Amino acid sequence: MKPEFEERLVEQIEIWMGVVPPNDAARAWAAQHAAVIKGFEALRGTLAFEDEPSSFEAALQATKED
Amino acid sequence: MQRPTPANPLHMTLVEAAEAVRRGEMTAVALAKASIAAFEMKDTPINSLISLDADAALEAAEGLDRLRNAGRLLGPLHGVPLAHKDMYYRSGKPSTAGSRIRREFVPAYTSTALARLEAAGSVTVGMLNMAEFAQNPTGHNAHFGDCHNPWDLDRCTGGSSSGSGAAVSARFVFGALGSDTGGSIRLPASMCGVTGIKGTQTRVSRYGAMPLSFSADNVGPLARTARDCARLMGVIAGYDPNDPTSSREPVPDYEAMLDGKIKGMRIGVPTTYFFEDADDEVVAAVDQAVAVLKEAGAEIVRLPMPYMDAVSTYGSILSRVEAAAIHSEWMRGRPSDYSVHLSARIYSGMAVPAAYYVEALSRRGPILKAFCRDVFDKVDAFVAPTIRMAVPKLFDTDIDRHGAPAIDAFNAITSNTRMLNYLGLPSASVPCGFDRNGVPIGLMIQGRPFAEGRILKIADAYQRMTTWHERRPDTAA
Repeated sequence: MKPEFEERLVEQIEIWMGVVPPNDAARAWAAQHAAVIKGFEALRGTLAFEDEPSSFEAALQATKED
Repeated sequence: MQRPTPANPLHMTLVEAAEAVRRGEMTAVALAKASIAAFEMKDTPINSLISLDADAALEAAEGLDRLRNAGRLLGPLHGVPLAHKDMYYRSGKPSTAGSRIRREFVPAYTSTALARLEAAGSVTVGMLNMAEFAQNPTGHNAHFGDCHNPWDLDRCTGGSSSGSGAAVSARFVFGALGSDTGGSIRLPASMCGVTGIKGTQTRVSRYGAMPLSFSADNVGPLARTARDCARLMGVIAGYDPNDPTSSREPVPDYEAMLDGKIKGMRIGVPTTYFFEDADDEVVAAVDQAVAVLKEAGAEIVRLPMPYMDAVSTYGSILSRVEAAAIHSEWMRGRPSDYSVHLSARIYSGMAVPAAYYVEALSRRGPILKAFCRDVFDKVDAFVAPTIRMAVPKLFDTDIDRHGAPAIDAFNAITSNTRMLNYLGLPSASVPCGFDRNGVPIGLMIQGRPFAEGRILKIADAYQRMTTWHERRPDTAA
């Protein structure tokens, strides 16, 4: 992962949350968000549900064991 | 058929112990003394315990024996010693959550699950080791010491309910509360060779349980058998006015459903996701378990698992974002009071945009409905490995020691379990074999929402035909 990506995340977390990386592992773990972003990108346009948005609790009831 | 009482009373199952007390063949004091002695004599290398409360336990047990002698039983757990993950609050008693930050925290109220277990007659002998703030899948703990697997002390117990898995496996207690946000009941159940169940999201009250993720936290039991878990779930499940998120769905008599009959039941085996890159020995053990279920009369249906990319992506951020919100004040003020791996994990959750988080939450219901339509219209339940790999060593998954290189191994442990937390489905793990190192392998069983009875029925039927759950590690009491 490009150090630039990691540095931008670090900067944003400090701006939004007021938290600095507590250790090197924190930077590395945050950098893994590149995979999360790719995951969200891959889902774009692939999911369509008639009842979106809807309640998760209602879905539990709607699909429960008889 | 009733088994003869073993020489060591701790070798009974939870249900056998409760029945022995009910029949007057065993006293609560004898069981509590055996449990306390087991912790005192055998726990040092395992480190499953955070605090032992021997005096209070013996006092409670004496009271229960007086009641029993007067012809009264409090409930189905009368006289049974238990110990619990140290995140269940008791008014006036410290509750550490396995952390330095909350080492001195004393809650002003008592958890509903704990209160219900004690109202049913159980004796709490102590509180158990756990991952710091319930946030690792391995059993590492920088503040109270790592918890060690009773089957191989160099290996992970699984987490975050590490002490719960280890103490039940080592026969120190008959059962324990764990909690499960991404696999934290099922992982230690699998790695330590015991049975554990996470109910449907909302099935068990979370009042008085340390929060990690309000979307995905679950309270549930670990014990030796499916029948033991059925008895414990029957006590703790059900609506609680103190937890408005708990379900009003009626609680069936789980134990009465355990008749060993699964003939004609359609049990699915995933052809996608859950076996990807799994170790051969894990696949072989699960295949053998499937063969046992087939022999018992189940119809085995191989089918793909839909929406796994979405479940994996959305599920990967929910608890991390919620944990980041809960811990943000401490992360600003006392970051060095966390272990390295936990502050690193919490930190990463702070980078996720709110729009991603809301997308993950808002699609949870529609994805659950679509998943149930595509899967549970074809099968009544499905099975998979709880963990895809042989149980790793504590050393190899120690992020505090190795830093970033250990993160992938750490995350891989929850690949299968965390999917069920996003979907909110009930899921149990039962022992189904041993890996090349002689450490247990787990079979994970899941069903529709509120199908706890069905998955316990399958687990019980499997345990009637196998003996994996009866094996004890050499380190056991």
